[in-house]
Amino acid sequence: METYGKESLREAFGHALVDAGAKWDDLRVLDAGTSNSTYSQFFQRTYPERFYTPGINEPGMVGIATGIAMAGNRVVACDMSVFLHHAYAQIRAAARQGSDMHFIIAASHTGIAVGPDGGSAHDLTDLARMRLVPGFNVLTPWDGAHVRQIVNVILEEKGLYYVRLNRPKVPIFLKDPISFEIGKAYRLREGNRVTIIASGDKVYNALEAAEQLGDGFADVIGIATLEPLDTDTIIASAKRTGRVITYEDHLCVGGLFEAVAGVLALHHPTPMRRISLDRVFTTSGDPDELAELYGITTASLVKECQDFTKS
Amino acid sequence: MFKITHQELEEKAFSIRRDLIELIYRARSGHLDTSLSLVEIWLGLVYSDFFQYDPKNGAWEDRDRVFLSEGHACPLQYLINAELGYYSVNDVFTGFRKPKTPFQGHSIRDLKCGLENSNGSLSIGVWQAYGHSLETKRSVFCIAGDGEFQEPSSQALLSVPHYLKPAPNFTLILNDNHLAQDSEVDLGPIADVAKLYNWQVIQIDGHDLNALGEAYLQAYNEQDRPTFLVCRTIKGKGGDPENEGRLGHHGKPPQNDDEYRNYIAGLEAKGRV
Repeated sequence: METYGKESLREAFGHALVDAGAKWDDLRVLDAGTSNSTYSQFFQRTYPERFYTPGINEPGMVGIATGIAMAGNRVVACDMSVFLHHAYAQIRAAARQGSDMHFIIAASHTGIAVGPDGGSAHDLTDLARMRLVPGFNVLTPWDGAHVRQIVNVILEEKGLYYVRLNRPKVPIFLKDPISFEIGKAYRLREGNRVTIIASGDKVYNALEAAEQLGDGFADVIGIATLEPLDTDTIIASAKRTGRVITYEDHLCVGGLFEAVAGVLALHHPTPMRRISLDRVFTTSGDPDELAELYGITTASLVKECQDFTKS
Repeated sequence: MFKITHQELEEKAFSIRRDLIELIYRARSGHLDTSLSLVEIWLGLVYSDFFQYDPKNGAWEDRDRVFLSEGHACPLQYLINAELGYYSVNDVFTGFRKPKTPFQGHSIRDLKCGLENSNGSLSIGVWQAYGHSLETKRSVFCIAGDGEFQEPSSQALLSVPHYLKPAPNFTLILNDNHLAQDSEVDLGPIADVAKLYNWQVIQIDGHDLNALGEAYLQAYNEQDRPTFLVCRTIKGKGGDPENEGRLGHHGKPPQNDDEYRNYIAGLEAKGRV
């Protein structure tokens, strides 16, 4: 697969915020004491007077961010994902104000990709939590270029957005112009034996797997909007292939797998498998080592597809 | 100090208390005692000379903001906004706690009705209000309960102007009635804590309209730091005297006609407070 270098999603997001700061005077960015991890510090350095931090205080940050958005500003609140557990009541209360505002939460350090900091630092339930809050668009960008495009789109349109970023450098594989519409799933490769539905940076691995499986084998659907989910595209692919595998760096509970399973159970019951983590606390390790250990590598996906299509 | 006379304000306090008792008794649910404790606090604020609002244009950029953080006091908010002309009192009586009306069991943000924030869980509105004050030139007042200040994040708010921005246009009003849902509340040296963090701290009787008017003006004129206005109040004030300042009535409307009559009798016995 052709790639254009590597960049972490968080770093791309940090740069995108600086560009956005030049475009929108009313943009305010907040962080709860992790600005050198989320890279919101790029914005802080460029626009110090438009950056707020209450310190290590996630509920405070989200509350203040909400109040600023209610004053009519574009607002982006950044944090390492696992710490946003502290702010869940405030996030729900933000959504309760209605979607007539520009309110974005950006979470870096999601999934086991965080690596050696260990299970306490791996946020593997963020998508589940955010899906539970009515009104939030839950977004899972695939690479750095995608992040930039998504930031442009969501700062344009009022609404509540959660953007899932992560820590390691991952391949850039999307080429300009990148189309991104909120609520749209994208069919990235055509096949008729099995559907692979992937989210976040796993979309790249899904395409790699599809390439290894050979032409016409896997239909690959990329999910950048988990909520609201593009049910039509998912159902259409399930009808074509009759088998669906979901693929995500998240627990099997409450994320992409259960979202897709819910859609198919209602509209087109289809045999399914999943590449995701069991409902466990994870361990420390190098990200690649952990992907191996928990079975979410490209190779695990290839093997699962082969096994699934034998039956 | 006020847009209307002291006498007229007292009359409004009396009629709003009567409406609160009626409204919550008819609805058979709602937080009467909390609402009763805030009547002078709220009236004194919105009838202060400086206070700007426009019931025909609720989203007016230059309005002064009132955030309600202890959302269960919304019956009072609904009645006062009717008084200010955002809608009729009748709208409140027909819509209170009914499906899909603006008058839910806790407020839902609706600027055309003068409802600045959605609320419910405690200790969230105070943060939103403070955040809001950072990006508006107008005054932001936020009404919070003392029980709400048992939440650690409320106490943390007192330190944030020190870390972030002093926000002189922000006034935090504490409804210090010393009673929460299931127990008494003693916040200890909370006012001293605020002083240490360089808030302008004003401590008054929260049922004294003159003291309130002066305090609001002092907060409004403050140029350098936020104001923490501690209002000592009586939960259930001006209703059934047997229940005033007593535990066990939180969120409990009069249970029958006798209890309802005791509230009205208590109100009328005191006359125009």
